Amino acid sequence: MMSYLLRRLNLLVITAFIVTVASFALVYLFPGDPLINLTGIVPANSEAYAQLQQEYAFDKNLFMQYVHYIQEIYQGNWGLSISSHNSVLDEILLFLPATLELSVYALVLSTVIGIPLGFWAGLRYQRPVDYGILSASLLGYSLPVFWLGLILILFFSLNLGWLPMSGRISLLYDIPHYSGFILLDILHSGLAESQAAMQDAVNHLILPTLSITIVTSSIVIRITRRSVTEVMESDYIKAATARGLSRGQILWRHGLRNTLLPILPQLVLQFTALLTNAMIVEVIFSWPGIGNWLLQAIYQQDFPAIRGGMLAVSAVVIIFTLSMDVLLRLINPLKDRDVHGTI
Amino acid sequence: MLLLDIKNLTVEIDTSTGWVKALDKVSLHLKKGEISALVGESGSGKSLIVRTIVGAIPDRWRITADRMTWKGQDLLSMSAQQRRKIIRNEMSVVFQNANHSLDPTASLGQQLRESVPANQLEEVSFWQRKALRTDIIVKYLHKVGIKDHQQCMRAYPHQVPDDICQKVMLAMALVSKPELLIADDPTMGMEITSKVQILRLLTKLNQTQNLSILFIGHDLSAIANMATHMTVLYSGQTVESGKIGWLHKRPLHPYTKALLDSAPSFRKDLAPKSTLSSLDGTIPTLQHLPIGCRLGPRCPRAQKECVKTPKMRHISSHFYSCHFPLNRGGK
Repeated sequence: MMSYLLRRLNLLVITAFIVTVASFALVYLFPGDPLINLTGIVPANSEAYAQLQQEYAFDKNLFMQYVHYIQEIYQGNWGLSISSHNSVLDEILLFLPATLELSVYALVLSTVIGIPLGFWAGLRYQRPVDYGILSASLLGYSLPVFWLGLILILFFSLNLGWLPMSGRISLLYDIPHYSGFILLDILHSGLAESQAAMQDAVNHLILPTLSITIVTSSIVIRITRRSVTEVMESDYIKAATARGLSRGQILWRHGLRNTLLPILPQLVLQFTALLTNAMIVEVIFSWPGIGNWLLQAIYQQDFPAIRGGMLAVSAVVIIFTLSMDVLLRLINPLKDRDVHGTI
Repeated sequence: MLLLDIKNLTVEIDTSTGWVKALDKVSLHLKKGEISALVGESGSGKSLIVRTIVGAIPDRWRITADRMTWKGQDLLSMSAQQRRKIIRNEMSVVFQNANHSLDPTASLGQQLRESVPANQLEEVSFWQRKALRTDIIVKYLHKVGIKDHQQCMRAYPHQVPDDICQKVMLAMALVSKPELLIADDPTMGMEITSKVQILRLLTKLNQTQNLSILFIGHDLSAIANMATHMTVLYSGQTVESGKIGWLHKRPLHPYTKALLDSAPSFRKDLAPKSTLSSLDGTIPTLQHLPIGCRLGPRCPRAQKECVKTPKMRHISSHFYSCHFPLNRGGK
């Protein structure tokens, strides 16, 4: 286990290194003065420029610049946004939770919908139910998420008028910022109208979550279905049948664990795709998250913000993937099986 | 009384090239208290028969049989629940590849506990059941020759050697006190001392508890010592069956003879470096089964008539299916 942890940690360090190198390279690759791209400060005169140069080690070689850059990142100085003149890190911390909230709900909903449906399809392998679920998932998988979002808005917001079409919560409610997760914030605020605010926030959440969920859960269905059919074909399931266990007992005691263990890491991998989808969906639903923010930064050529956003999103993905990896490893009884070579 | 009676069992499998008869009119029967052996090369359908008997095959395969009964009850027409009850309480199976037949994510102890049938626990109150379950399985683990039961019960299948897995499978099979034990190569890959121990245990159970055993395997000498009847299978067809003494002394089917000859001989007068006798060729794959007698292309006695499937014929209770049997005097 220790060596596994060390290997993962090693991976974390290397990936983080590559990401920081890439983000540092952006400073030079973006058009304009690298120093301004890095800091977001436009110096008034040449003296101020020289001072800035010294401050950020830009009078030294590239390597020293990079080392200094890492130090600044570590200390929380991610530069200033050119358009808003706020600290990039503060803005990210303000917007990122909204994206995470959306992604987490979508991920939870996708697994809650996808895994049971995948099981159902897998257990009815090559029967009408299986074909039905499989075709539905193929359809969901093929739909582009931005188009789906627009169709949902058109249908549920404009035609039927059931759900709000953009934003996170109605402007009527003023929710103080606490964790960045809107539902938690409402609970924490203790406002008199928190019940109504909660209802409103949930209404706002439904459409964006749904459009991400449809795409992700169809992948989850396919992964689960394949794993279920593989496990149900395996020798130990046949042996369990031969021991006279009922289908329910077999599925519950032997099928479930064996099916889920290999697919959980694959579900974790889906988080990356899901986050990308969430960032696209944010733009369509004007959701005040990192995707929307990043896109605005791109429009306005706000280079420090683009760089910071990229760094933040990569960090979230890396940390989430690796920590889930370690967690799944901990709960997996087969963890030591393949440590040594087998014949 | 016939415990298990199978007549003309045919199992068809759908492959990419169409339906294939993986088992073609196989007959098998077993009396109470008898040890019967089923032999044949790998791929001859031995394990498929086992899986058909216990119903562990995919639903979409076609099974037809003139007769497939357990103590007079038809196994094919009864409800799934009834069949499961019979399998749970009266039959047990030890599968080939014990390490694949155990759930890789459950500890051996969990799986052993699961196989203790509820009717052995009825006399105690429910809070004592777990302890009783453990007592029962420890007893059986000792029986099959596992001394360190605690370590064994804690371990996962991948943490123990294959022969321990096989012994655990055997313990799981025996714990429900079955009337019939179907043992599919239970001693495969074991070292010789464990092998002898297991075979002795099976023989003892047969003598003391009247356990019937359907023994499936390759080890002809072990089979000759244990079993009273033998059925020889080739490529999904029964080629010969009867009392083991007769089959050994006077095999009627060329395949049986080849099988008996292929066992390594330890005669003193054997020339050094003489080759083992064997049939040319290999067992055909399911996609390329020859018509008629499936041994045809490999058979040293094959003639034109062999493209028609020979009928099952018999001399008293010695059944064979061959147009040109050996050892038949004038013919």
